[in-house]
Amino acid sequence: MVSRALTLATLLAAVQLSGCSVLRSYDSELQETNQQLAAGNIDAALALLESNNKGEQKDLLYYFEKGELLRSKGDLVGSQLAWLSADSVVLQWEDAVKLDTGKYLSQFGSYLVNDKVRRYEGYDYEKVMLSTQMALNLLAQNDFDGARTEIKKTHEREAVIAELRDKEYLKREEDAERQGIKTEYKDLQGYPVASLDAPEVVSLKNSYQSAFSHYLSGFVYEALGEKGLAAPGYRKAAELRPNTPLLDQALLALDKNSAKPGESDVLVVVQSGLAPARDSIRVPLPLPIDNQLVIVPLSFPIIRDDTSTAPLSEIYLDDKALALTLLNSTNAMSRRALRDDMPGIILRTSVRGISRGVAQHNLNKTNPMAGLVLGLASAVVEGADTRTWRTLPDQTQVVRLRLAPGEHQLSLPTRLGGAQVKVKIDRPYQVVSLRVVGNRVFAGGPAVEVAPQAPAQAVAALK
Amino acid sequence: MFARISLAAIAIALVSGCSTPSPVLGGKNISYGDNKAVELVTNEFGSTDLQMIAESMTRSLAQSGVLSGRPVVQVYDVKNKTSEYIDTREITTSIKTQLMKSGVARFASDNNAMQSQVDQLKLQNQSGLYKKNTVAKTGNMIAAQYRLEGSISSIVKRSSDYKDVFYKFSLQLIDVESGLAEWMDEKEIRKTTER
Repeated sequence: MVSRALTLATLLAAVQLSGCSVLRSYDSELQETNQQLAAGNIDAALALLESNNKGEQKDLLYYFEKGELLRSKGDLVGSQLAWLSADSVVLQWEDAVKLDTGKYLSQFGSYLVNDKVRRYEGYDYEKVMLSTQMALNLLAQNDFDGARTEIKKTHEREAVIAELRDKEYLKREEDAERQGIKTEYKDLQGYPVASLDAPEVVSLKNSYQSAFSHYLSGFVYEALGEKGLAAPGYRKAAELRPNTPLLDQALLALDKNSAKPGESDVLVVVQSGLAPARDSIRVPLPLPIDNQLVIVPLSFPIIRDDTSTAPLSEIYLDDKALALTLLNSTNAMSRRALRDDMPGIILRTSVRGISRGVAQHNLNKTNPMAGLVLGLASAVVEGADTRTWRTLPDQTQVVRLRLAPGEHQLSLPTRLGGAQVKVKIDRPYQVVSLRVVGNRVFAGGPAVEVAPQAPAQAVAALK
Repeated sequence: MFARISLAAIAIALVSGCSTPSPVLGGKNISYGDNKAVELVTNEFGSTDLQMIAESMTRSLAQSGVLSGRPVVQVYDVKNKTSEYIDTREITTSIKTQLMKSGVARFASDNNAMQSQVDQLKLQNQSGLYKKNTVAKTGNMIAAQYRLEGSISSIVKRSSDYKDVFYKFSLQLIDVESGLAEWMDEKEIRKTTER
């Protein structure tokens, strides 16, 4: 009787779990949303996002994605509102970290909870990119003072993250030593190690500092006449991306007043592609269960590249080609975040695998049926966390130039659809932001006007 | 007699009523701190560094004897040669405020305030909105006798256990006519963090 009740309870737990967010496939939800975005159906993409987030309590990811979709639509006010909601979630996280870092780390490092069941807190680079994207929204409306506030927030956020990660890595090393887990991601058989060891990933100083964010800081401070703050912006950008002439030049030009009267200092920002997806891969790992080494298949996250948009190296201004300088790659940052997180993921997954293995082993002895159900439930539930901000642009490239006030024509290479954007220059300093997904260009604000593009294509639903 | 005592009692009651501290609303974890307290939250540039630099420079400049006769000084931005977002204008504003309060110098509109000054003069003289006898005349601005300029630089060293930051702030006062540096000083700050 007792064993039947136990079996039933285990079965019920499995059914309940399958109904909850554990089985939510964020990857397929956003794959469809991004297809709509790339096809130019932004309203359809927004409708999909809403239909996938019907609950009253929206999570951070919902606001991340909504802000980016509304930005692509040209609704900068709506985008900013959505991102302000995301920002308040990030601020709560910052407060929790600042108030008691130790407590936060011990909660986050809990071995009992699967990563994908945790409340989504956003990756560090997403938090930094959030305030950067918010600054771009404000700059598209020529609000440099507002952008300054967002930029200052980015510096402060970076400092909180840096301190937290310092403590986290130290704690993790101690935990791994205590638990006796020595596995590294390089030891995982069949795991795509090369993707985490790529030169563009290893060369990053960390996963969250963006050369683009700092360069943009420099530009905004310079525009506001605060050279004392502009200099560290350009300097930090140059440290994060060494040997980039654009960055070295910005620092040198800061002390020279090379602007000719009547000319505008214009920064063209081209953000293309989409952030990579996170997928789950099963890797068999030998774990010590009941004094025996048992091979247990465990799930680990991997990064899957976005292929929606062809690489872009130049744009045309009034039919003259302008070379773009890459300052930010979300793909590389995302890989770096995973690379840095992998020791913690391995530790948590292994400890959970061991405790599950022990529980199943004990259950098998008393009730093989319940043991089987637990095994099945574990197989269903166990999977890597695949949530990540997917509409975030992958590459951020810039070109800085001096332009005469008036109207100018920006265009994309013909292999990317050759979209035309009319730009009105009427300020001493101006930022022009373009978003490229697939063959489409999106832009918002009073200074830009995208010429009509091919009608949006219908996208067949995946489901 | 009774009237006098009553009056005195009322006066005391009134005075003591005035000194009653304002009620505090909420704020379990929030409190006001001493603005002069030494801040050691992180080893980045902080409020104590700003105060230390401003105080040391003001004292040195005021005691140097260069500023006799309340000369007019123009303050330039302090060059930030570090990789830290230090608002150097706040340092010069503090120095300027303290020198102004001690009455040893007067300050000409600096680069950032100049545009507002020019705009205001234009508005008064060209818009036709103001009474003529109240309009500020152009051509009467006082030129600076000295310019004050400086820089802040840092050396950061890290190991797995230590982070050492060394800041050097230098400031100089230059005679605009002769181009001679009449006063110069520097303040060094070292901050070390052990993990």
